[in-house]
Amino acid sequence: MDYKYIEQLLERYWECETSLEEEQILRSFFNQKDVPARLLQYKEVFTFPELDKENQLGDDFDARLIAMVEEKPAVKAKRITMWSRLAPIFKAAAAIAIVLIIGSITEKSILKDMPTPVQTDYMAYPQTYRQTDVVTATNNVDNVAVETGIDSIMPLNTTPLANDQQQ
Amino acid sequence: MKEISFRNDVLPLKDKFYRLALRITRNREEAEDIVQETLIRLWDKRNELHEGMESLGFTICRNLALDQMQKKEAQNVAFDPELHETADNGTSPAEMLIAKEGRSIIQEIVEQLPEKQRSIIQLRDMEGKEYKEIAEILQITESDVKVSLFRARQKIKEQYVKLNRYGL
Repeated sequence: MDYKYIEQLLERYWECETSLEEEQILRSFFNQKDVPARLLQYKEVFTFPELDKENQLGDDFDARLIAMVEEKPAVKAKRITMWSRLAPIFKAAAAIAIVLIIGSITEKSILKDMPTPVQTDYMAYPQTYRQTDVVTATNNVDNVAVETGIDSIMPLNTTPLANDQQQ
Repeated sequence: MKEISFRNDVLPLKDKFYRLALRITRNREEAEDIVQETLIRLWDKRNELHEGMESLGFTICRNLALDQMQKKEAQNVAFDPELHETADNGTSPAEMLIAKEGRSIIQEIVEQLPEKQRSIIQLRDMEGKEYKEIAEILQITESDVKVSLFRARQKIKEQYVKLNRYGL
């Protein structure tokens, strides 16, 4: 058998001109049983890497490391678009808007069913409303009550006097 | 997107890191501790990593091993300077072989190489890495990797032929 190719590879190996594939060919060649005598002297150079692979850590190392790390659910990288990034903000804004709209509709419907006290006073005492300042009447119901009270008291006060005069 | 799992992606790298750490420290217990630290650091960085986890792991592993070697050297100088000096006094590979019978000649020769050459031999001949990846791991240039590998292989060849001639 012609070992010229192997010898050439060997020369190139020492010169660091071999590729990884060619170095694998050399390792495979020297790891087989039938190595010619003249090449036997280099056998150990290429069988050494295989022997080195026997240096390994045991299962107890794995168990210890896994216990230390306490493996959590795997991290998953996820592509996020601008829309999906902003979606929570839009959702929150929409939720707030819905609450506000429902709130204002409910408020309007409740107020519509209930007559406002201020308006009732104005309707009951239209003269008083005309006599007093609009702003005062709107903002202060007590003032309205006071003024209307005067009007309503006046006839009562005059009644005893009339009676005295009659007497 | 790829999911990163400690069991499936990080832990299987342990033996490769262990062999590199062992090549540098020459001590199994220290190498094991270094691999443990390397794997935990890799796991902590998993959110930043998608590719190149193995290369980064080799870099972390080597740096931790070098730190460990420096600490040991500092301790030797501090506590036992005489021992340190005598250790440097010309123990040849042949003498080492006689002292540590049963170990392979090539292993002894590799262990006599400077650390950078040892690491490059480990990554190229044992782990089958391309020059580019070795350069990234060692954070040096590709040409620097080739020069160091050339020197390492020449030294191995020279020593190996010499020791074989002596019949050791």
